[in-house]
Amino acid sequence: MITVKDLSFSYGSKGVLKNISMELKGGNIYGLLGENGVGKTTLLTLLCGLKKPQHGSIVTDGRVPFDRDPSLLAEQFYLPDEVSPMPYKALDFGKETGALWPLFDMDKFLTLLNEFEVDATQRMDSMSAGQLKKTWIAFALACNARHYFMDEPTNGLDIPSKSQFRRAIMKYTSDESAIVISTHQVRDLEEIIDPIIILDKEDVLLSASLQTITEKLFFDYGNQLHEGALYLENTPSGAIQVYPNTTGEESKVNLEALFNAVHSHKDVIKGLFA
Amino acid sequence: MFNGQRFWTYFKYDLTKMWRNHVKAAILIGFSGLILYILGIAFNAVFNGVWAAPGFGSRVVVFFIACFALELYQTRTYGYLTKRREGAAWLMIPASTFEKWLSMILITLVVIPVAFLATYVIIDAILALADPTYGQLLIGAAKTTIANAQQSLAEANDEYSTTWSLGVFALPAIVGYICNFLYFLLCGISFKRNKILWAFIILSIASIAFSTIMTTMGLQSDYYEVNELAEAEELIRSMIGWSTIASGVLAAGFAGGIYYRIKTLKH
Repeated sequence: MITVKDLSFSYGSKGVLKNISMELKGGNIYGLLGENGVGKTTLLTLLCGLKKPQHGSIVTDGRVPFDRDPSLLAEQFYLPDEVSPMPYKALDFGKETGALWPLFDMDKFLTLLNEFEVDATQRMDSMSAGQLKKTWIAFALACNARHYFMDEPTNGLDIPSKSQFRRAIMKYTSDESAIVISTHQVRDLEEIIDPIIILDKEDVLLSASLQTITEKLFFDYGNQLHEGALYLENTPSGAIQVYPNTTGEESKVNLEALFNAVHSHKDVIKGLFA
Repeated sequence: MFNGQRFWTYFKYDLTKMWRNHVKAAILIGFSGLILYILGIAFNAVFNGVWAAPGFGSRVVVFFIACFALELYQTRTYGYLTKRREGAAWLMIPASTFEKWLSMILITLVVIPVAFLATYVIIDAILALADPTYGQLLIGAAKTTIANAQQSLAEANDEYSTTWSLGVFALPAIVGYICNFLYFLLCGISFKRNKILWAFIILSIASIAFSTIMTTMGLQSDYYEVNELAEAEELIRSMIGWSTIASGVLAAGFAGGIYYRIKTLKH
C-alpha cells in the first residue's frame, strides 16, 4: 500500500501540490486525471522516488520511495510519457535490461511484443513512436512489478494498440498490483480505471471509486433535461447530464462528463464526497 | 546497501552499455598515435622525400593531448544522467546508489583508461617493431630522455648526483589522472548543459584562487630560496609529494561528490 500524507511540492514559488493525503491500495488501477500543469507527472515522479517531497511523506509498503531502496525499485516501474529509443534490438533490450529486475519474465516480454505486433528483432531507435511505447509497456509488464506508475501510456498508440494495452493491463498485472495511470485520454482507459483521482491546482478535487461516484452522482443519458444538472453536454446521440444521485439509482460513469462536472462545480463535488 | 550478485548484474549491464558508446570512443582516442604516425610519414614523404616517422617530442605531445581528450570525455560518459528521460530510467534501475556509484567509478577509472592505454601501447609497439625509423617505444624513449638529462646534469655539476627515474612520476601521474577523471565525471553529471565549459570555468577560478594563495604563502617564507641543484631537487620532490597528497584528497572529495550527486539526483 502507498500512503501519501500531507504531501506538498512546488517548483520555486509555483506551488503544485499542497497538503495532499491519500492511500493507494493494491488491486486497483487508479486513474489520475487533471488539466495540464496541475501536477499529475509531478505526483507520479514523487510516488516512484524520482523527486523528494518538500513537505509531508510518501511510504510504499513501509519504505520511502526517495531512498531508492533496490528492493522497492525492483517492485515498481515508472513508465514516463516519453520513452527512450534505445540503440539496440527490442530482444537485446529485454535480455540486458530485464536482468536487472529480479522478477522479469523474458517469455512474457516476447509474448507481449507478439500481442502488440512489435518485431522483437527491430532496433528500438528505428521504431515508430507507437511501437517504441508498446515495447516499453511490454517491458514494464514483464518486470512483474507490484506498483506501476504510468504517465500517459496511451499517447502515441493507434486505436487497435489502445485496446491491446487495456487487455494487457488486465491480463498481465497481478491482483495485488497498485497501478496509477495519468491520462488526458479518459476514453482510452474508461473501461479499466477505478478509482478516479482528479487533481486541481494544489488540490485533489475527487478521489473515489466508481461505486462511490455512482452512489453520489447520476449520469443521465436521456433527453429530458434535469434542472439541477451539474453538467450538461449535447451529443449527436443525445444529452449527457450529471447531477447528484438522490434516488440511489445506478448509472454508467462517463469520465469526460465527470471530469467536466467536477471542474465546473468544485465546491459542490467536494461537499458531496466529503 | 551492497549485494554482490546484484552489483555484478548491474556492472555487466553498465559495462555493456558503456562498451556500445564510450569504451569504443576511448579505443578510438587510443588510435591518435597511429594517426600521428601516418601524418608524419606522409608529411616527410611529400616535403622531405624521405620515409621517416615522427620524432619523440611530437609523440609525447600527442600522447598527452590524447590523455587530456580522454579526461574531457568523462563529461560525456555518464552525462546522460542529467537528461530527464534517460536519467529517470537510470535512477529507477533496481540497484543501490553505492552499487551504481562503484560501477561508475570502476568504468571511469579502470575500464576506459585501460582500453585507451592498451590500444595506445599496442599500436606503439607494433609501429616500433614494424618501422625502424619509429625508434623506441614511448615508455622506453621517456626512460632514455630522463637518463640523458641526469647525465647532462651530472656532467655540468661535479658535486651533484641524482636518482630521478620515471618511477618518481608514476604515482603522482596516476593520482593526478584519477583526480582529473573524477573531476570531469562530476561535472558531467552535475551540469545539464555546457558541461565542459562549466568544468573549465570552475577549474580556472580554483586555479586562480590556489595560485594566489600559494604565491602569497611563498612570498612570506624562505621555502623557495634555492642555492644548489640538490636543494632544487629536494624542493621539487617535496612539491611533487604534496601535490600527490592534494590530488588524492581532491580525488576522494570528487568521488564523494559523485556519490552525493547520484544519491540526491531528481527528475
